[in-house]
Amino acid sequence: MRGLGTALLLLILSAAARGEGLHYRGENSLWQDTVWDGEVLVDGILTIPPGVTLHVRPGTTVRFTRRETNGDGIGEHELFIQGRLLASGTAEAPVRFTSAEVDPRPGDWGAINIMASEEENLLEQVEIEYAYRGFHAHFARASLADCRFRRNVRGLQFQESTVAIARCRVSDNLNGLQFRDSKVTLTDSVVEGNYWGVRCVYSELALSRCRVEGNLVNGVNLRDSSLSATANRISGNRKGLYLQRSRCEVTGNELLDNSEHGILLEESDCRVAANRIAGNGRAGVKWIDARGSLAGNRLDGNGTWALYNEGAGEADARGNWWGSADPGAIAAAIRDGEDLPGMGRVDASDPLEEPPILPKLELREDMEQR
Amino acid sequence: MALERIGIASLLGGLLLAGCLPAPPAAPESQAPLEIAGVLSGETILSGEVLLVDDVLVPAGSRVVFRAGTTVRVRSAEGTQIDPEYLSSLTELLVRGTLVVQGTEESPVRFLPLTSPSEGEPAWAGILLDRATESAVEGARIEGAETGILCIDSSPLLRGNRITGCRYGIIAQQKSSPRILDNRLEAGEGGIFCWRGSNPYLYGNRIAGNREEGVFVDASSRPWLDRNEVTGNAIGLALYPRDLPFDSTEVRGNGEDIRFLGGGGGAP
Repeated sequence: MRGLGTALLLLILSAAARGEGLHYRGENSLWQDTVWDGEVLVDGILTIPPGVTLHVRPGTTVRFTRRETNGDGIGEHELFIQGRLLASGTAEAPVRFTSAEVDPRPGDWGAINIMASEEENLLEQVEIEYAYRGFHAHFARASLADCRFRRNVRGLQFQESTVAIARCRVSDNLNGLQFRDSKVTLTDSVVEGNYWGVRCVYSELALSRCRVEGNLVNGVNLRDSSLSATANRISGNRKGLYLQRSRCEVTGNELLDNSEHGILLEESDCRVAANRIAGNGRAGVKWIDARGSLAGNRLDGNGTWALYNEGAGEADARGNWWGSADPGAIAAAIRDGEDLPGMGRVDASDPLEEPPILPKLELREDMEQR
Repeated sequence: MALERIGIASLLGGLLLAGCLPAPPAAPESQAPLEIAGVLSGETILSGEVLLVDDVLVPAGSRVVFRAGTTVRVRSAEGTQIDPEYLSSLTELLVRGTLVVQGTEESPVRFLPLTSPSEGEPAWAGILLDRATESAVEGARIEGAETGILCIDSSPLLRGNRITGCRYGIIAQQKSSPRILDNRLEAGEGGIFCWRGSNPYLYGNRIAGNREEGVFVDASSRPWLDRNEVTGNAIGLALYPRDLPFDSTEVRGNGEDIRFLGGGGGAP
């Protein structure tokens, strides 16, 4: 009977949502599993408490009014989820979380805020825009697939969480993705046109088959973290890949046409292999007191330097293609202790005689359209 | 120390209001500096001794003025700031509205680190102009920043400033066209960077003693280089464009005076 009652309630709420729409005003809480369908207006803070699941059906649009009481530019209305969120749209009928304002702007509303939710939260085919933090989580697990985060102050921000992100587009936010103390997989996604693309601390990031392009400050920045980056294109950012006190395996990527450096390694331990690193303005790779190796990469066609060792230690760069196997040409592409006393040397011995054949990137064809 | 307030102003996170004074009196030597942090909304006029204790944002539509003779000391961000609110993990002055710095040669406006930075590390982020409007920085002394002045889609007047010991002196990116006149950019990693479709006018600047490039121009930018002294840098001019007019006699005494670069180099 209880199951029947719950089903009836879900049906009623669903029907209500299809009608003139649901309105939540002030501080409210859902006390039972609920289905949203159609138009929903959140004019306050709505809590989904532990044990309660909010289902959001395809085509639903959830709008948040702007309320900002302390002048910090951060909208305060939000979803506060301690239970579970299951938002599933379709390609034809995505779920949309957006501003209710006529003239919307980033930060109009707070966040989809998931706090200590132990169950797997799911967002599929969801669009989130004009939030302060589009997706925000603490101590949570979540899976995000085929979602768009755009024109938020921060597209996604989380900590102490495990998050799988696949086939998503994060664009035109101030910060695209920002997290700490988290374990993250980011695959087949696009991060573009943000100030910061991806930034994290104390985290593990597996980045594969993504495009990280046109971010104004850094494409991907990790501090005190670990990175596995495979088959990504990181291009047109100010710095492409920037690691500080981190560990990394960077293989089979393209790091192209970044304004400053393709890769900047500071006090990091990295293996950088079989990448195409070209067209970057100042240095293809800048190496500051880093460890590890560069091998099997294409380092030709960068601006001021192919490799710049600004640290005191040696840089192991044996077995790369420099655009030429001529020792003089290779030396001219490197800045190290040969140029300035106090800087470490670059070991560029055993250069490749011709460009290595690198695996072709297999980025999803429909990324361009999403 | 003095602060003048015109119109609506709200300062969050630690701004200590010193009072609404029609004209700033000379600050007694013993007076504590005005501490500022957070969002400066409306119009704010600062003079005397000012302490930037944390990030400051001047939002779009707001204006901040630094009177001649103001000294701004910047407190470095403590430890490892992991969730920077704005563009940098270092303490920053971020302007999305209007910034007016009214220093003169005789009475400059100084932006200085509160404490000496550790070797090779910037003590603060710098003056960051992000889609700022109608801004001018004149007669400033900027030291120890990661970037002396960063222009993102901003085209201010930058005149008569001395930018010393900053990693980057001036960066113009994302279609910025600042007028950069009669400045001195010295002892940093690089002097002036033109990225992503930026076309500044550089006139009468002295760009000297930087460890790397004096002036860097990517493939999509077209600055106008007019009678600048570029000397004592590792590379004087690092240029993707082959056809920028400049007076090569003013580019001398560098490790390498002019290097033309290949590859994509920031092509749009």
